[in-house]
Amino acid sequence: MKKSYLNNPGTLKIDLMLRGIRLPREDGPLAFYGRAGEGVDIVLPGGSPVNVPCGEEFTRDSPYVLKKAGERWLISDTTGEVEVRPVKMPEFLSRTTGEGTPYSEIATVHGSYVLILPKKECVFFEKKVECSYCAGGYDERPGRTHTVDEVVEVVSAVLEEGVSEIIYLSTGFTEDDDGGIGFLTPYIEAIKKRFNCLVAVEALPPKNNHWIDRTYALGADALLYNLEIFDEELFEALCPGRARFVGRKRYIEALRYAADIFPNGTVASHLIVGLEPPGSTCMGIDFLTDMGVVPILPIYRPRPGGALRIEPLNAEVIIPIYRHLYRAVKKKGINMNWMRDISVVTTPIEGRLIAGEKTGGISGLIEKFYGTRLGLKTAWGLSTLRRKLRVKEIEED
Amino acid sequence: MAVEIDRRSIWVLLVLKGLRPAFFVLLAAGFYYLIKMPTPEGLTPEGKNAIAVFILCLILWVSNIIPLAITSLFAIALVPLVDILPKEEVYGLFGNEAVFFILGAFILAGAVMHSGLSNRIALVIMDRFGSSPARLLLSIYLLAALLSCFMSEHAVAAMLFPIVFEIAKSLGLRPGRSTYAKMLFLSLAWGCVIGGIATFLGGARVPLALGILKETTGRTIDFISYSVGVFPVVVIMLLFGYFLLTRLFSMDIDSVEKAHEVLKRRIQSMGKIGYNEYMVGIILVVTVVAWATLGARVGLATVSLAAVVALFVLRLVRWKDIEEYVNWGIILMYGGAIIMGTALERSGAAMWIAQSTIGGWMVEPWLAVAVLSLLALLFTEGISNAAVIAILLPVGIGLTGGVNIDPVLVTYAIAVPAGLAFTLPLSTPANAIAVSSTYLTIRDMAKAGVIMSITSWVVFNLVARFYWPLIGLGGLR
Repeated sequence: MKKSYLNNPGTLKIDLMLRGIRLPREDGPLAFYGRAGEGVDIVLPGGSPVNVPCGEEFTRDSPYVLKKAGERWLISDTTGEVEVRPVKMPEFLSRTTGEGTPYSEIATVHGSYVLILPKKECVFFEKKVECSYCAGGYDERPGRTHTVDEVVEVVSAVLEEGVSEIIYLSTGFTEDDDGGIGFLTPYIEAIKKRFNCLVAVEALPPKNNHWIDRTYALGADALLYNLEIFDEELFEALCPGRARFVGRKRYIEALRYAADIFPNGTVASHLIVGLEPPGSTCMGIDFLTDMGVVPILPIYRPRPGGALRIEPLNAEVIIPIYRHLYRAVKKKGINMNWMRDISVVTTPIEGRLIAGEKTGGISGLIEKFYGTRLGLKTAWGLSTLRRKLRVKEIEED
Repeated sequence: MAVEIDRRSIWVLLVLKGLRPAFFVLLAAGFYYLIKMPTPEGLTPEGKNAIAVFILCLILWVSNIIPLAITSLFAIALVPLVDILPKEEVYGLFGNEAVFFILGAFILAGAVMHSGLSNRIALVIMDRFGSSPARLLLSIYLLAALLSCFMSEHAVAAMLFPIVFEIAKSLGLRPGRSTYAKMLFLSLAWGCVIGGIATFLGGARVPLALGILKETTGRTIDFISYSVGVFPVVVIMLLFGYFLLTRLFSMDIDSVEKAHEVLKRRIQSMGKIGYNEYMVGIILVVTVVAWATLGARVGLATVSLAAVVALFVLRLVRWKDIEEYVNWGIILMYGGAIIMGTALERSGAAMWIAQSTIGGWMVEPWLAVAVLSLLALLFTEGISNAAVIAILLPVGIGLTGGVNIDPVLVTYAIAVPAGLAFTLPLSTPANAIAVSSTYLTIRDMAKAGVIMSITSWVVFNLVARFYWPLIGLGGLR
């Protein structure tokens, strides 16, 4: 009998990301929101969001079908069905800025947070040392830089519509010593000055740690330096740009330092599952959690037309990795409430579902609370207070 | 502006953050209590209020929780508010001669530094006389002392520091290890400190003391008399300082040839002496002579302000150049301190404090000088020397009502030791600058500084007891 993942939202999320879903013809993908038009965003039982591929070739063989039963939406496979909630396209994405740029060109919804790219640029592409698995859609020419006013306009719309309370800013990848923080500074300052929302920043590790202090002082509530691959040789082979311009050692140093500066559970690093042996990913999880860094594990899927041909792992191999992730994060006492509810990855908190553990009592209440809008506002307040207490301005010598 | 992240526990930070508001609430409550409490016997209600304001300012000056100048402004606001003195009188006191003398001295010293004259004098003297390690050391020491007779000792330390630092580097001295480097930086600090007490110009604390003396008693001390009175202290301490330096540390180098290369390079880079340097030098000399000869008749501040006008008439400096040299905070601080001192005196509070604390047992004038000078020496190691004067002098002058001692002597007994801070980097900027070199440790400074402080107290009291009567200064026998 074929194994079904329907009854566990944690395993179902992983299998859906791996195998995709078939949509009924009458409710094509455009009816729902999918990350930048890719896939469809669905909220699984228990509230986990997932971005499920639906247009790619491989999804035709998926056992999962999204169907409508009256007012309800169901995902079914050959063994049964489960009720889900497809995510409607947020209204703000259909608007354009005062300068005529579609909001969708600037922002993408990823479950609980909204990714904003003020400039789509990757220096690794320009120097032809891009990551060989990259699916970021970069090319050799940097995209247009969106103005601070445009970004503020989009953020205002996001918050007004209540789509998210977390703005995730990414620098793209630049060659600067600051890892891109200098470029992001006016955006972070403008957002923090005008809105009471949380800001997460993804950047390259800067050459000097004072930029990490500065990132925190500017108002970043969470920080991501994505190592992507833990194995040293594979890192150099698959991420030549990161290896040459930053280096694995600097990634680790910067993550260790940042984990000491930022609140518990707010410094994270991606380790892509499927690009290295599962054992190596698990070692990476242990290494990162030892430093107080949250490992976030996106699943590798080959890019259509991409040169890298690594066969993706299947759910049976991947699921134990997420179980290990949850246990490692829990063992090190890392707060799981910050990095959660992201549609494109499975976070440690969802790993608990995979591990079959239930939370009750106070920690369960806290977890639920931080999943609410009020909880996120509280997180913002505490984060702001912490920053106020910790950051000291000093005269430069 | 750079940032620093405080990594202590969040609970510790919260408690620390709460301390400041708690401190102010307690301070306000204590002040309110003092204002509302019944007036003690022998004290007027104004005197009681003056003591309340004084205690408040004392705590703020000592804790330095808000800038000294802001505490002074607070005192200015409180004195009329709690009916110690009428507001017209309070604001009139701010126009004290001492305040304008200090302002003029700051501007004149700023012009000397801006023109490059002081730097040139320093470089030339070191180059000419510093031919061996011992002579170079002595020339830095004496030069710092000499320049501090005419400019603020803080400014002299800041001006000489880069030169001494470069000399230490060029000689290949190792930070924290080289004993000669320790001697160089200690000589810089000590030279500034000792030279700084020689005239009114070494630091603005003596003019502040004079301002309080004049407002409270109508008495004053002229430029020459002051320098004559402290001259033996300066000479003995300079001699002892050099003796101590050469006993505590050894000269671990044989030649200073490389230092001369640095000095020569710097002198060459300055070019020929220019019109501005000549003219500023002439104005400085004329001003010092005028302070000495005309100061008593026309007023020290008048001479200062005339010199300042001359600088601008001759277009030797621009206002923009001077602004950065004028420490406006000190000027505000001094104005407030003079008002506070006057309020204590006129309300009878100063005498009441003195009589009810130290007046009972301090019956001998020599004992009063010994105790007040010791207090000033101890206080100045921990708090600003101007704050020492603002705190001790009004009480000290109050003491003169009960003990048969001239208020002028009390002014010397507090103003001179208040400038003799040798032990800690926080005592005076000259010490802090020397330690910041990293060639000298706090431990080195403290070890030698304690000996210097004790010696300076003994020397000062011996001078007071045996020398001052010879020049007709009070009577301590």
